[in-house]
Amino acid sequence: MSAPGKTEPAEAIARARTGDADAWGELYREYAPALFRFCRRALPTKEDAEDATMDIFAKLMRDNRLLQYDQNRSFSAWLYKVAANHCWDTLRRRKTRQDKETEDLENVPLEHPDPNQLDKLIEQRTSEEVRHALSKVGSRARMALVMRYYSDMSYDEIADALGVRRAFVGVVLLRARHELRNALGQSGALAAGGTS
Amino acid sequence: MTEDDHLPDEAGTEHLDEMSGLLYIERQLERVRAQEISAHVQDCAACRTLLRALERESRLLTRAMLEEEEALPARLAQFHERARRSMQWIWTVAFGLAATGVYALYTTYIEPWQDQLDKAGFGGSNLLSLLIFQGALWKGWQSMITLLEVLALLTVAGFALIFFRRRVRRGSALAIMLAGFCAALGLQPASAFASEMRKADSVVVERDETVKTDLFLMGEHIRVDGTVDGDVYVFGHDVSVNGRVKGDIIGFAQQLQVNGQVDGNVRAFTNTLTIRGTVARNVLTFDQTVNLESNGKIAGSLTIFVESLNLDGEVGRDILSMAKHININGKVNGAIQSRGEALTIGSSAEVHGPIQYKGDKPPDVSPRAKLVSPVDYQKLEHKPHYMEGHYYVWQVIWLAAFVLFGLVLFQLMPQFTKDAVANVERYGASFGLGVLVFFGIPIAAIIACVTVVGLFVGISTFFIWYAALYYAQLVVGAMVGEWLMGRSNETWPLIGRMIVGIVLVRLATVLPIAGGWIKFGVMVWGLGAISLALYNRFQPSIAGTPSAPYTPPMPPNTTVGGMQPA
Repeated sequence: MSAPGKTEPAEAIARARTGDADAWGELYREYAPALFRFCRRALPTKEDAEDATMDIFAKLMRDNRLLQYDQNRSFSAWLYKVAANHCWDTLRRRKTRQDKETEDLENVPLEHPDPNQLDKLIEQRTSEEVRHALSKVGSRARMALVMRYYSDMSYDEIADALGVRRAFVGVVLLRARHELRNALGQSGALAAGGTS
Repeated sequence: MTEDDHLPDEAGTEHLDEMSGLLYIERQLERVRAQEISAHVQDCAACRTLLRALERESRLLTRAMLEEEEALPARLAQFHERARRSMQWIWTVAFGLAATGVYALYTTYIEPWQDQLDKAGFGGSNLLSLLIFQGALWKGWQSMITLLEVLALLTVAGFALIFFRRRVRRGSALAIMLAGFCAALGLQPASAFASEMRKADSVVVERDETVKTDLFLMGEHIRVDGTVDGDVYVFGHDVSVNGRVKGDIIGFAQQLQVNGQVDGNVRAFTNTLTIRGTVARNVLTFDQTVNLESNGKIAGSLTIFVESLNLDGEVGRDILSMAKHININGKVNGAIQSRGEALTIGSSAEVHGPIQYKGDKPPDVSPRAKLVSPVDYQKLEHKPHYMEGHYYVWQVIWLAAFVLFGLVLFQLMPQFTKDAVANVERYGASFGLGVLVFFGIPIAAIIACVTVVGLFVGISTFFIWYAALYYAQLVVGAMVGEWLMGRSNETWPLIGRMIVGIVLVRLATVLPIAGGWIKFGVMVWGLGAISLALYNRFQPSIAGTPSAPYTPPMPPNTTVGGMQPA
C-alpha cells in the first residue's frame, strides 16, 4: 500500500477526520493505487474496480467514516477491510441478481491433489497466468484469495467479511485454490491423483 | 475434514490431507496438532512436498496480486479533485437550504411579529432594523459601522477563512473565524464608543453632571439626576431616572421609575415600571406592573407583556399588549391590540384608533369614554386543541414536515446523525446534558442579546437551539425505529427507521396531558444526545499515540517442516 517500513500518515488521518480536504487528498494519493489494485483483483472488470475505488473513498469522505477507525490499529489493514466489505457487497448484489454461485460450503466434498503434480504446476505458472486465472474463478473464491493473499487479512476478518463461520474460512480458501488450479487448466490431472 | 486428517496411501502410510496442510502453513492449527504435523513431515517426503507446494502457491498468489501491471487509471487520478469540487457543490446546496430555512423561519415567525410591531407603532421599520440599526439593544451601529466597513470586515473574514482552511483543521478554522468575527463585532463598538461603568451600593449621576458616553450603572439604588448623552444600562433594585437621557434606557430592575426625559427608547425587564416623565420614542417592556401616570407621556408606541397596566397618561401611537388586566384612563393616539383577562376603559379615556380585544371577560367600557369605534371583542376559547378537527390536519402536516426535515438533515449530516442516534442510548449523560442545554442555551442567548457580545450571536444561537429541538425529536425517533426494526449503520435504512420512529414519537406527543411531558422529555433527551455527539466531534482526534509502523501485505510466513506455533 505504501513503501515497506514507512509509517502511516497519522497526522493526515487526524486532519482528514476533521474534514480537511487537503488531508483527504494526501490519503487518496497515498492509498488509492493499492486500493485500486485490491479492487482490481477482487472484482471482475477494470471498470468495476475503478468505480469501487471511487465509491469507497467517496463514502469515507462523505460519511467521515474515519471516525470509526481505531488509531491503535493499522490504517492500511482497516482500509482493506472497508474495501473488502464494499467489494463483497457489490459482488453479492450482482450474484443475487444473476442467481449464480449457490454452493453449500459444508456439503461439497474436497478433492485431494497429488503433491508432486501440484508442486510442478505451481512451479510452471507465472504471475500473469495466475492473474488471468483469478479473473475466471467465482466471486467468493476470488474475494477470499484476495483478502488472504493480497491484504493479509486474518481468518476472523475474512469470516466477518464473507459472512461465514470462522471454521469454514479454511474450506473457502482451499476451495478457492482448487478453482484457481482448475482455471489454470490442470484440474483433471490434479484432481485425479488425490493424496494417496 | 477433521476426521480424516491422515489419509492412507497404497502402502498403508497415513498422509496429511490438504486442508490440514493449508491450515498448518497458515498457522491456524492448535499447537498440539501443529507439533504432530511437524513431526510427521520430518519423515514423510510426500507430505513435505505437499506443504512446500501449498506454500509456493501462497507466495505465487501474493506475488501475482501485488505486481503492478497497470498504472492507476486517469479517471481515478482525477477523482479526488472532482470529489472536492462536488463537495463544494454539496456545500453550496447546503447553504442554499440553510438560507431557505432561515427565510422560512423569517416568514413564519418574524414577519408576523414585525407586522404586529408595525401596527404597534414602531412604524416604517422592520424588526431587524428596529433591533439592530435603531440600537434598541445593540448600541450605536447606525452611527458607527457604515456599509463599507461591514463589507470590508466580511472581506477580511473571507480571506482569513480561506487562509486558515489550508493550514488548520476545518473545524478549528471555523471556530477561530467565528470567534474572531464575534470579537471584532464586540470590540469595535467598545473602541468606537468609550463607555463608563459605575458600580456601588448607591449610584448617583448628580443633577449638574453631564455624561457624554454610554453609561452602565449597577447597584442597589440608582439615581440619574443629571444628563447622559448616550444610552443608559441599569442593573439594580430601585432605579429612578429624574434627569435627561439622550439615548435609550435598557433596564433590569425591581422598580424602575422614569420621572425625567428620555429621548430614545425604554426597554425594561422589571417588576414595576412607572413612567411619570416623557419617553420620546417607544417602550418595550416585560413586567408585573406598568404604570403610565397622568403626567407621563410616551411619544411612540407601547409594547407590553405584563400582569397589569394602568394607563393614565398619554401614548402617542399604538399599544400592543399581552396583559392580564388593563385599565385605561388616559389618552391613546393610535390603535390598541390586547389579549388578556380583563379590559377596563374609564370615563376619562380617549382612544383615537380601533380597539381589538381578546379576553375572558367582555370589556368594561365607561359610556363617557371617547372612542372612535366600539371595542372589537372576541371571547377567548379555552377548548382543548385536540377537540378541534383542524388540529389533526395540522398534526399530519407537521409530521410530513418532520419527515422532510429529517430527510434533509440525515442526508446532509449522515455520520453526525448516526453518532447522535448512538448517543441516545447513553441515557444518563443524554438527559443530564439535555437539561443543561435545554435551559442553558436560551439563557445564554438572552445574555448575548443584551450585552456587548451582540444581538447577532444571540439570535443565531437561539435559532440554532430552536432548530435543534426538532432535530432532537428526529434523533430520538430514529432510535425508537432502531429498537423496533433493528440496528442499521447505513443512511437510508436509518432514515426508514427514523420515519417509523418519528411517527410513533409524534403520536405519543399528541396524547392529552401526558403528551406535553413526553414531548419535553424527548426534546431534552435528543438535545443531550446531539450535544454529546457534538462534544465527541470536537474532541482531539489524535491522543498522542505514535502510529504503528506500516506492515505491507506479505505472504504467510511459513516454514515447511519447522515448528508452527499455534
